[in-house]
Amino acid sequence: MTLAATSFDWVRQLVHRESAIVLAPGKEYLVEARLLPIARSMGLPDVGQLVDSVRTRPSPESTRRIVEALTTNETSWFRDGDPFTALTSTVLPSLLSARGPAERLQIWSAACSSGQEPYTIAMLLEDALPNAATRVAITATDLSREMVERTRAGRFSQLEVNRGLPAPMLVRHFTRAGTEWEVSPSLRRMVTASECNLAAPLPRLGPFDVVYLRNVLIYFDLPTKQAILRRVRALMRPDGWLFLGAAETTLGVDDSWERVVIGRSSAYRPLKGN
Amino acid sequence: MRALVIDDSRAMRRIVSAALEGFGYETRQAGHGQEALDVLQEGYVPDLCTIDWNMPVMDGLQFVSAVRANPAWRALTLMMVTSESEQGQIVRALAAGAHEYVIKPFTADALRDKLALLGMLPEEAVL
Amino acid sequence: MTLAPDAVARSAQPRLTIPELIDEATVQAIAGEAWVALVGEDEVLVPVPGDLPAETLSAWVDVVGPWTGSVVLTTGRQTAADLTRSLLGVAAPELLDHEDVADAFGEIANVVGGNVKAALPGPSTLGLPQVGEAPGVRNPEDVCRLEVLWRGQPLVVSVQGALPALSTPHPNPPHPNGASL
Repeated sequence: MTLAATSFDWVRQLVHRESAIVLAPGKEYLVEARLLPIARSMGLPDVGQLVDSVRTRPSPESTRRIVEALTTNETSWFRDGDPFTALTSTVLPSLLSARGPAERLQIWSAACSSGQEPYTIAMLLEDALPNAATRVAITATDLSREMVERTRAGRFSQLEVNRGLPAPMLVRHFTRAGTEWEVSPSLRRMVTASECNLAAPLPRLGPFDVVYLRNVLIYFDLPTKQAILRRVRALMRPDGWLFLGAAETTLGVDDSWERVVIGRSSAYRPLKGN
Repeated sequence: MRALVIDDSRAMRRIVSAALEGFGYETRQAGHGQEALDVLQEGYVPDLCTIDWNMPVMDGLQFVSAVRANPAWRALTLMMVTSESEQGQIVRALAAGAHEYVIKPFTADALRDKLALLGMLPEEAVL
Repeated sequence: MTLAPDAVARSAQPRLTIPELIDEATVQAIAGEAWVALVGEDEVLVPVPGDLPAETLSAWVDVVGPWTGSVVLTTGRQTAADLTRSLLGVAAPELLDHEDVADAFGEIANVVGGNVKAALPGPSTLGLPQVGEAPGVRNPEDVCRLEVLWRGQPLVVSVQGALPALSTPHPNPPHPNGASL
């Protein structure tokens, strides 16, 4: 069943609004192929009905799933670079000197998707710290059970490992499994994945020293963004570090954070006395 | 910035050159390792070489070894672009002196990501 | 006659055949990824058999290692030309010559073959692509054959062993005279 022009247009506008990515006319087949699994997971027979459903009952979750399904090209390792190199250049040294030697650092990848982000962090730490698995714990959460399971599995396709993963790190931290590449056991030991809905009261996680909350706030309206930031902050150590997406900021949303420039990116730290 | 695209497939040379030109590179092509060495010896010294593995006359690994053995070409960045994707082979290529490794099939985005990792994107592309 | 110890060991090792090493779903996944990157990001290979036309062209690469054989792509000549045009994109010349098609189709075989090889036990070497009439199937037990449709046109990916079947003696077939051998 071919997608109606009005439905395709709606999807195009949504994707452009949320990601600035342009879906050219003629990509109806791509939209159908990528969104059909989402429709089916919602018990809907086709993409047209998915579109109708989301138009009448919009939700950040559906929006995010639709946009991500159509822009999965963007899921890469070390996305935007600096927020991750900042970990080893600035954040880690600062935390290690502030914490006791027996304290395990807690890091949260709060929209982990298929796992590239938490494993990027794990790789960096594994290379920077001896016995990293005993010194750091990475909590990876996502709204989607499918994504949580993918993160737990730690297996990636050839096309996926080509995206921003330095070759020396690929051979050091992964082994081939058939046509895929699987993270090493020591990386997997560092990461615990679970489902979590950021827009609802959070489970008792943390307290976290570092939080990566990247490219997920954009899907929510202002009041929800504020609520999420409050809830995240409540799970963070007072001297913790928050990383947002490259185009995101707490400015105009929540003034209880202090912005710290690290290289070409920024981190946000809870303002004292708030 | 300048690139030398080395692949025995004319189609693949066109594809890689077109992608690199899209990122702002000026490109030249060679059909195998020996041809590529000839280009270098004639005095065209690029910033980047993309190198296929399996080629007649001289393969990619031999080319990488030859370049790394020559101090005059120390500043060249060597990036394998090949369907050879056994783990041991990637290790061998890196050990021989390749800086990066792109597995075929690859997308233009993947190539851009790898170049960004190396700091080799002429224009700073903001995603 | 006694056999040398290592000859005994060699003959005792089961020879690896493709059905134990790779399946159609894996070959499909490999070919699918190759198509998306080389032929076009919306391209789909539908796993439905079709009849190849009379005039076909094959492109293949040889794999030599713990398993030895070839990864062979076969399709109609027109399909091969269409693939070439898609692969070259805006760089495609008005008129494609045989060299253009051999080069492009050969490169697709190189990419599919290289990734099939990496899914097999290694280390193995990969030969340069060859284009022409497909090598015949030497051992029907040592083949994985994937039939797909690309834009409705049939294409076959065959992972086929180079070695003929080992002749296995039949267990005591009755002698015409009634005595067993």
